[in-house]
Amino acid sequence: MIALFAVAPVVLLTLLVGLRGVAAVRTTSDFLVASRRVSPLLNSAAVSGEYLSAASFLGVAGLVVKDGMGALWYPVGFTAGYVAMLVLVAAPMRRSGAVTVPDFAEARLASTPLRKLAAVTVLVIAGLYLVPQFRTAGLVLSVVSDGPYWVGVVIAAVVVSVTLAVGGMRAATYVQAFQFCFKLVLFIVPAIWLLLQVGPQVRHEAVHPVEFTHFTRDTPVDFGLEVTLLLDDPLTVQSATGAPIPIPAGEYRVSEGTTLVFPAGAPVPGVRGGAAPGGPDWQRPLLDPHDAGHPVLGTWAVLIATMLGTMGLPHVLMRFHTSPDGRSARRTAAITVGLLSVFYLFPGIYGTLAKVLVPQLYLSGATDTAVVALPSQVDDGLTGTVFTGLLTAGAFAAFLATSLGLLLVVAGAISHDLVPGGLARLRFTVVAAAAVVVLLALPSARLDAGVLVTWGFTVAAATFCPLLVLGIWWSRLTAAGAIAGVAAGLAGTAGAIAFALFGPPVSGLPAILIAQPAPWAVPLAFATMVGVSLLGRPPAWSQAAMLRLHLRERRDTGRDPGHSSSPTRRSSATRRVIRRLGR
Amino acid sequence: MTPHRRIAVTSPQTRLAHARRRHRTAWRPPTLDPAETRQAQRVYRAQRIPALTALAALAALLFGLPVLLDLTPTWDDVRVLGIPLSWIAIVAVPFPAMVAISRWQLRRAERAEEPE
Repeated sequence: MIALFAVAPVVLLTLLVGLRGVAAVRTTSDFLVASRRVSPLLNSAAVSGEYLSAASFLGVAGLVVKDGMGALWYPVGFTAGYVAMLVLVAAPMRRSGAVTVPDFAEARLASTPLRKLAAVTVLVIAGLYLVPQFRTAGLVLSVVSDGPYWVGVVIAAVVVSVTLAVGGMRAATYVQAFQFCFKLVLFIVPAIWLLLQVGPQVRHEAVHPVEFTHFTRDTPVDFGLEVTLLLDDPLTVQSATGAPIPIPAGEYRVSEGTTLVFPAGAPVPGVRGGAAPGGPDWQRPLLDPHDAGHPVLGTWAVLIATMLGTMGLPHVLMRFHTSPDGRSARRTAAITVGLLSVFYLFPGIYGTLAKVLVPQLYLSGATDTAVVALPSQVDDGLTGTVFTGLLTAGAFAAFLATSLGLLLVVAGAISHDLVPGGLARLRFTVVAAAAVVVLLALPSARLDAGVLVTWGFTVAAATFCPLLVLGIWWSRLTAAGAIAGVAAGLAGTAGAIAFALFGPPVSGLPAILIAQPAPWAVPLAFATMVGVSLLGRPPAWSQAAMLRLHLRERRDTGRDPGHSSSPTRRSSATRRVIRRLGR
Repeated sequence: MTPHRRIAVTSPQTRLAHARRRHRTAWRPPTLDPAETRQAQRVYRAQRIPALTALAALAALLFGLPVLLDLTPTWDDVRVLGIPLSWIAIVAVPFPAMVAISRWQLRRAERAEEPE
C-alpha cells in the first residue's frame, strides 16, 4: 500500500511533466537533445537529477552499512568527475557539434569503424548501469509492498519507456530538472527528521560505533535471497509464525524468502564474504572491501573509476549537448559540482544511523534497502509510514531519472549510430531496449548495485575518457590509435568483470585489481592510444579538427545554423526553414 | 479531433522525403581560416595552464587525502562536536574544495576565451 501511494504520484508527475514537452518534438534533434536550447541552471539541475541514481540515493548508505565509512569516498569520486569534466571535456565536446560520443569520434577522427566501436561501448556501459537501476527499483518495491521482485522491475520499465517514447529528451530535461529538486527535498527532509527523532542515545551510538556482535533486541530478518550463515555455537531462532528453529553450529543455509527472528542477546552469525559492521576496520575512512590490506590502493581504485568514468558516461555527455554553446556547457558542469556537493552531504547521515538501527540488513545482503527501512525503526506510527513513503518516492524518482537518460542513449546508439533511421525507429528502439534490460535485470537480484554501477564507470573510464581527453587536447591522435586504445580498454575491463563474475575467487592484491580494474585499465588504454598514434601519421586536417573545438562559437551566424541560440526569438516557422537550410 | 490541434502541412513529396531514410552527407575535413586558427591556437595555449593547475589540485586532494588518513589513524579518536575527525575529513573537506576548484577554473577558462 505504501508503495502504491509513494510511487503513483512520482509516476503521474513524471508523465505529466514529460507530456508537457511533447508538443515541441518534431525532429530527431528535438528528440535527442531538445534542440539545444536549455539554460545552464536548468541543464545542471537536469544533469544532477539524471546522475543521482538509485546507487546514490540508496546505494551509498547501504555500502556504508556493509563496507564502512570508507564508502563515503564513492560520492567524492562521483562529484570529482564533474570537476574533471569541466576542466577537460565540457566546452570542447559541445563545440564539436556531435550529438553522441560515437558522433564525436567521427567528427574528430572521421572513422566509421571507430564510430561503430564507440556505439558498442555505449551499449556495454549503459547495460552495466541500467541493470542495477532496474534491479534496485524492483528490490525496493518488493520490500516496501511485500510484492514479488519482478513486478517492480516491470512497472519501472513500462513507465520509463512510455515517457521516453512519447516525449524524448525535451521531456527528459524537464522531468530530470524537476526530479532533482524532488529528490533533494525527499533526501534532506527525512534525514533531518530522523536526526531529530532518534534521540540522544542513538545519535551518540552513531558517532561511537560498536561492532555488531550481539542482537540488542528481538530482531526479525527477512532473507530475500539465499544466504549462508556461519555460527560458532548452536542457536535457536523463531520463524515468522513464532515456531522455534534450532540452528546447529557451523554453516547454515537460509533459503530464499524466509524470515527468522533472532532473540535479544544472541551472538550475530557471520556471513560469507563480509565483516560485521561497526568494527575497527569499519570505522576507518578508507575502502578495503576484500580485507586485502591495501586500503589506500582500494580507495584510489574507486576514485579513479568514478572520477574518470563520469567523464566518459555517455548519458551525461549527451546532456551537455542540450546547452546552446560551449560556454554554457562549461557553466553547466560547474553548477553541477555545487548541486551534487549539497546532495552528497547526506548519505553519511543515513549510513551511520542505519548502522545503529538496522545493522541486521547486512545478514540478508539487503543493505541497499537501509534508507527505506529507517523511518519505521524510529516511528512505528503514521509519521514513520509517511516518511517511508517519501523515501520510496525519492528512490523511485532517482531510478526513473537515471533510466530515462540511459535508455535514450541506448536508443541513440542503436538507431543513430549502428543502424541509422528516423524518429519512428528511435521510439520503437526505446521500448525494445527497455524490454532487454528487464530480461537482464530479472536474474541479477543478487548483485550489488554499487558494484555493478562501479563497473559501468570503470568501462567508461577505460574507453571514452582517453578517447575524449586525447581527442580534445592532442592533435596527433590518429583513428587507428583511438580504435586500439578503446578496444584495449574495453577488452581489459570486460575481461576483469567476466573473471570477477565467473572466475575462481582470488584474494589479496589481485582481488582488488580484478574487482576494480581501473588503476591498470585506464593507463593501459591511454598508453595504447598514444603508442599506436605515434606509430602512424595524423592526417593534414587533424590540427584544424582539434583547434576547432577550442574556438568560441561565432555569435550570429553559427556554422550550425539550425542550432545556434540566436533564432530562439523568431517564430517557429522561420526556425524550421533555417534548420532545413542548414541540413 | 480538437479544433486547436496543429497539423504539419506538407506536400506529398516532402512527406515521402521525410519517410525515406536520410543518408548522411559526405564527411568534409574541417577548415579554419587563418585568423580563426590564430585565435584558436591562442585560446588552446591559454587554456592549458589553468586546466593543468586545476587537475593537479584535484589529484592532490583526491589521492593525497587517503594517504594522509592512512598515515594518521589517531584522527579516528580525535573528535570535533563528537564526530571523529577522520569522518569529517572525507565529507567536509573534499566537497567545498571541489566547488572552489571548479569556480576558479570556470573563471580562468572564460577569461582565456575572451577575444583580445
